[in-house]
Formats: sequence, structure tokens, C-alpha cells
Amino acid sequence: MKAYLSAFRMRRRLEVQYRGAVLGGIICQMFFGLVLIAVYKALYAGKPQSMPFSHIASYVWLQQAFFRMLLASDPDLLDKIRTGSIAYDLCRPLNLYGFYYVRIVAQKLTGSLMRGVPMLVFALILPEGWGLSMPASPAGLCLGLAGLMLGLLCVSALENITMGFTMRTLDSRGMQGLLNLLMMTFSGNILPLTLFPDSWQHVITLLPYAQLLDTPIRLYTGEALPAEAPRMLLIQLCWTLLLTALGILFWQRNQRRIEIQGG
Amino acid sequence: MSYIHVKDLEKRFIVREKRKKGAFFREKKMINALQDVSFDIEHGELLGYIGPNGAGKSTTVKILSGILTPDGGEVTVGGLVPWKERKEHVRRIGVVFGQRTQLWWDVPVRDSYDLLKDIYRIPGEEYTARLKELTEALQLDELLRTPLRQLSLGQRMRAELCGSLLHRPELLFLDEPTIGLDAVSKLALRDFLKWENSRYGTTILLTTHDMEDIVALCSRVMVLGHGRKLFDGTLHDLLGRYDTVRTVTVRYEEADAWPELPDNAPAVCDGENLVITYSPAEYPTAEMIARLQGAGTIRELTVQPRNIDRLVADMYREMDL
Repeated sequence: MKAYLSAFRMRRRLEVQYRGAVLGGIICQMFFGLVLIAVYKALYAGKPQSMPFSHIASYVWLQQAFFRMLLASDPDLLDKIRTGSIAYDLCRPLNLYGFYYVRIVAQKLTGSLMRGVPMLVFALILPEGWGLSMPASPAGLCLGLAGLMLGLLCVSALENITMGFTMRTLDSRGMQGLLNLLMMTFSGNILPLTLFPDSWQHVITLLPYAQLLDTPIRLYTGEALPAEAPRMLLIQLCWTLLLTALGILFWQRNQRRIEIQGG
Repeated sequence: MSYIHVKDLEKRFIVREKRKKGAFFREKKMINALQDVSFDIEHGELLGYIGPNGAGKSTTVKILSGILTPDGGEVTVGGLVPWKERKEHVRRIGVVFGQRTQLWWDVPVRDSYDLLKDIYRIPGEEYTARLKELTEALQLDELLRTPLRQLSLGQRMRAELCGSLLHRPELLFLDEPTIGLDAVSKLALRDFLKWENSRYGTTILLTTHDMEDIVALCSRVMVLGHGRKLFDGTLHDLLGRYDTVRTVTVRYEEADAWPELPDNAPAVCDGENLVITYSPAEYPTAEMIARLQGAGTIRELTVQPRNIDRLVADMYREMDL
């Protein structure tokens, strides 16, 4: 267990080292946040709204703040697989899936906290209608945080499945491009899931991608009431367990048929 | 039973060929990376494993270290089957892949070691003592605080070796450990391996293309070619069969001196020098020297066996590799 914790700490440290990347990420995500809100404002001007605009602004900010959780593959791990340095990890007395899983969690957690916290502080002080609103209730905040943790575990399990594909194809770009498209669309990053037609939402909210950020954000903004939380968290938990189990099976199969090419 | 036991080892890879014109699918081809390879290694042996590129050396190492699953044959290392009892097996072995890295690129070397300490569950005191011993032997003291990316190739290889030995493995696999190293680093690395082997009785299996590594370290050599074992014995025995040619370089005081030589010992002019290649078996060296002396006053004379790389190249050629 200690080994996994150490790997987690090590990856966290590494993430903290790249300060320039953090600053760049913050500026980029701030820009996207402002542009998206401006677009929604323009679209909604003088039209009836299905949800309060402050919810949409909060949704956008929270999505942008935790963007790093969704779209960031650990370049070190991909390199290891591509160059064959994974051979070293294969001869450690560890579970390889777990060893990579903790590194992915560490990267996503540290990366998004470093970017997200300053961004959310900034978003809180923006004028009404542009900025992040306070949570709907203390319960909503707590449930949202719990949902965020589950979302982190769920997205890491998804990422590890992408890693599994990379072990087969050696190049992550194809599969990742495809999965990222799904991720961006169905996680609510491009268009908040709350703005999809109601009939679509019944299905979309059940997909694994909705479990990552959409669920915690709905709990935070009050779009979903605390009474609905148990059901939503349960769906998150189910997906997390299912994706983890799938990942472990996939990796076991990979490990049996792996070839490390080259000398 | 011996420490490492390998019997009739087989491994095949499927290679997809370039798509033929008009065909929809690419054709698959089976490549036999290893066929009927058998050998036994005892505790404390220092064994060299040579063969041309693509002979299957690394594949053998990967199977023995539990990374690859073979397609046939038996392997036990210390009573364990590497790919079946992987976790117990890898706890006892250390591996260095000369062309890859196990240490973290952007963090100080010491931190990568600390992670290895936790991975192998090395007790604190033992770890400190072992790290001190290794850093002294490998002259790593000043490098421990340096991020890996700033190290030179030679320094990095020493750091990698240290990392692979922290948990005191009883068996060490080295896959081309001296690749790209300068003379000083190579010598230091060889000395260290000898020391580790004699001090702790660590069994070492070394694959290399540098014959000097083998000469300096290995009492036993195995030759692999096209996935088959072709030779297993001492280096002396191996080279004895091919070490049949000597080169004499001679320079005379007189410019026009030309010794009378038999047909099977041709002489070639190289500037002021005369270069003669001959086989001592056919033409005794003593007689050769006598003839050379008869032709004039010798200013300089050297008799050399052939370069060991040449011998190995000849051997590969004869074995049709």
C-alpha cells in the first residue's frame, strides 16, 4: 500500500513543478469561460430560460476549473508505453493497473486543484451573471464535493482504459481523439448537459461521462436537490466500479499478450 | 535442480507485413524469436549472452524476468515460474535495460530511489546502508540530489544500476549495460559488477555486443543466433576455434628489403610497413620470424592476434547468422 501512496506523492510533486503550465492553463480556461458565458448571454438575451442564468455561469466556471481532470493524459505514462520503459514497471512486485491508477489520480487531482482554486476565487468575485454563484446549500456543497471525488475516481478509471488501448496500439492519439470527443460532448464541457433537450438528458445523464463533472455541478448549483443525491451518487459509484473492473480485466489481458519491442 | 533452469524455450511473434497491392488485409507472418533454447545456470555465475542483433537475447531476458509469456518450454528461476508467480519472482531479481530508464526524469535521483524503497518494502536501516554502499561503489554521492535529466549517459547508467540493486536482488539481468558509455565508465561499471558478484554471490546474466565486457567479466558465454542456442561454454573455447590468424607488421631499416614468404602468407605494403597475415597452424611463428630477420635489419616488429570483434563476426558468418 505504501508503494502506491509513494507513487501518488511523487506524481503530485512532479505536477507541482510545472508552474508555467499551470499559469498557461489558467489563462486559457479563463478565456474559454468568459467566451462561453458571453455566448450564452447573447443567446439567452430576452428569451425564456429553462434554468436561471446564474446556474449556467456557475456550470461553465466549474467545468473550466476542473478541465484538467477531464482532458489530460499523463505524458510520462504514454511515453513509457511507447518507448517500452513500461518493461521496468512490469518487473515490479506491484499491481500495474493500481500503480498507474494512483499516478493518474495524483496528476488529475493536483493539476485541477492548482488550476481550479485560483480560477474559482476569480470567478467568485466576477459581477453578478458573469461569475460563480455560492452553492445552493451547505448540503449541496458537501454532496457536490463527494460527487467530485467519485467523478475523479471515475475519470481516472476511464483514463486507465485509454492507457490499456495505448498498450495495444502504442500510440494514444487515435483512440484518445475518439474518446475525447465523446468526453467533451457528454461531460457537459462544450454545452452544459442541463441545456440538452429533456428527453436526451434522461439518457445522457446515465452515461459515464456525465458522472465526472455534471453530477457534482448539479448538486452544487442546486439544479439537483439533495434528495436526488443518493440516486445520483449511486450511479456514479456503479460506473466507477464497473469501469475499474473493466480496466483491470483489460490490463490483465494486455499483460499476458504484451510484447516489448526493440532491444 | 540448478538455480535457473530453462528447457526447450519457445517464443513466437506475429509480424504483419506490408499490405500487398489489391489485398484488403495485411498478411501475418510468424517469427520464431526463440526455438528449443535450453540451459542451466547455477548460483553466483556470471554469464555472458551474445549474438547478433535480433537473435533473441532480450526476449530471453524478458521471459526470465517475467515480462513475457513464452509459447512453449519450461522455465524456473529459484523454483518459481517467472510469468506465473510474477510478484514473488520479481521481488528477488534486478533488471537493467540499457536503453530504457526506470528513474523519474524530472525529479532528483534520490527520490526515485525512495520510491523503489517503498515498492520493494526495504526496511529503513537496511536501505540507508545499502544506498551508502552502492553510491560509494558507483561514485554517485554528488549526483543523488540532481534530477535525472541533467545526468550524462554514463552517470545515468550508474544511477540505473544502483536503482536495480537497492533491494539486494539475488539475480541481476543486464541488457546491454555498457551501450554508449565512455572507456572510464565502462571500466568502472565492470569493476563494480565483479565486486557485487564476488561480495554477495549475485548471479548475473549479461547481454552485450561489447566483447570486452565478456572478456572482462564472464567465465561462461552463450551464443544465440536466429533464436537458437549455438554455443555454451568458456570464452576461451569459443574463440579457440576462430582465433587462427595472426598479423605481423614489420618495418626494415633498408627501404627495399622484401622477405621470401610462402604463398599462404601474403605480404602487403602499407607505407613503410609490411603487413603479413598468416596462420600459425600452417606456418610456425618461429619460422616466420627467422625468414623476416633474414631479409634485412628489422627496426620494428609486432605480432597481433585478430581483433576480437572480427573473430565474433567470423563466427557469426560461419554459423550463418
